[in-house]
Amino acid sequence: MNRRMRSLHRTVGAIVALFVMLLAITGVLLNHTTELELDQRYLTWDWLLEHYGVATVEADAVFLLEQNVISQFSNQLFVDATPVTSVQRPVLGGVVLDDLMVVATDDALILLSLDGEFIERMGSAAGIPAEIQNIGLFHGDPVIQTRDGMWRSDFLLDQWERISLEGIGWSTPQPMPDSVEVELATYFHGKGITVEQLILDIHNGHIVDRFGVWLLDAFAVLMIFISLTGLWMWGRRTR
Amino acid sequence: MNRDLLKKYSLISLAVVLFMTAFSVSARGIYQTDEAFLAETFKEQTPKSQVVWLKGDLRKSVADILGHNYVGLRIRYWHKEGRKAWILEEIGKERPITFGIITTEDKVEKVKVLAFRESRGGEIRYPAFTQQFTDIKLSDDKLDRNIDGISGATLSVRAMMAVVTLALYLDKFTSQSS
Repeated sequence: MNRRMRSLHRTVGAIVALFVMLLAITGVLLNHTTELELDQRYLTWDWLLEHYGVATVEADAVFLLEQNVISQFSNQLFVDATPVTSVQRPVLGGVVLDDLMVVATDDALILLSLDGEFIERMGSAAGIPAEIQNIGLFHGDPVIQTRDGMWRSDFLLDQWERISLEGIGWSTPQPMPDSVEVELATYFHGKGITVEQLILDIHNGHIVDRFGVWLLDAFAVLMIFISLTGLWMWGRRTR
Repeated sequence: MNRDLLKKYSLISLAVVLFMTAFSVSARGIYQTDEAFLAETFKEQTPKSQVVWLKGDLRKSVADILGHNYVGLRIRYWHKEGRKAWILEEIGKERPITFGIITTEDKVEKVKVLAFRESRGGEIRYPAFTQQFTDIKLSDDKLDRNIDGISGATLSVRAMMAVVTLALYLDKFTSQSS
């Protein structure tokens, strides 16, 4: 019995030793986070970002207006990776007029400079036809499609005449360019995962989600087991 | 007896809570659309809108009045026979409040809350409060008279005072530049 217990104690001890070393090393590192600047060092390995679910961002709408990427995330309108204004309605499209970007929602046109600065939101009080469905260009003039018909204006956008045309270049949604997606991911999720976060998650088992917690529970049970078997063997030897 | 009393007070408390909840929810909403405000102001003959670009010193002055940069590079207004209508937004606590302001010869003719989106402070829309702004002017780029606040609506009141000051400032600016 004593020999079998000693053999089991040794085997379990060897397994537990690996976990103890892992906990000890990560624990020491966490104790010196500030000195080692672990909270200021960022990891951007693709698989790690993927694992933490911060590798990608998904826009509600994306439109490419010349060099600029216009996107909507919930109530925020972005030009490239910079938030420019809040927007309460879904973005339906956008066009470039001279030195303006004109973004359409169903109840307004949002004017932006080519540098991405918010100029103004023009609603029906400013003469914009209601219930917009899309925006496009016809020989350089802005055209909007509404429930009520098609309207054309000029670069001032304050007077609209009803028209019926064909061959309009309507604005269409586009996929988000990779470079802007990376910048937006940085905007939303920061610079990456800090070394401190990674070590902490290894230390507490969260690195492998719920399974990690159960693994550490099992390890704790093994620790209790070898403690008890150690005490038992020590008790028998001193008797 | 005590139990009956407790029941009575519980019912009254519940009714008060329900009333206050309903009241705070009802404070949010669009009270008048921008077009309706303009139609009412100009008696169905709304003039063509004009814009004032916020550049250089004007942008700085506007930021001083609001306490922050104005979000946008230009402000639209409607002008007819000496009366100007301004539709301006300012955040009370968390959400923008839309104000309609009519200015005439450097004075405020009328202020209205067109849309209120905050959960508290909706009392600023009542005429009893907005009437305080009638005929108010600027003196050293500040309102020339004190406005009585409303307890629980401090930030909304502050937002209204800021946009009224802005409208008067822009009224003066546009009059001088035209």
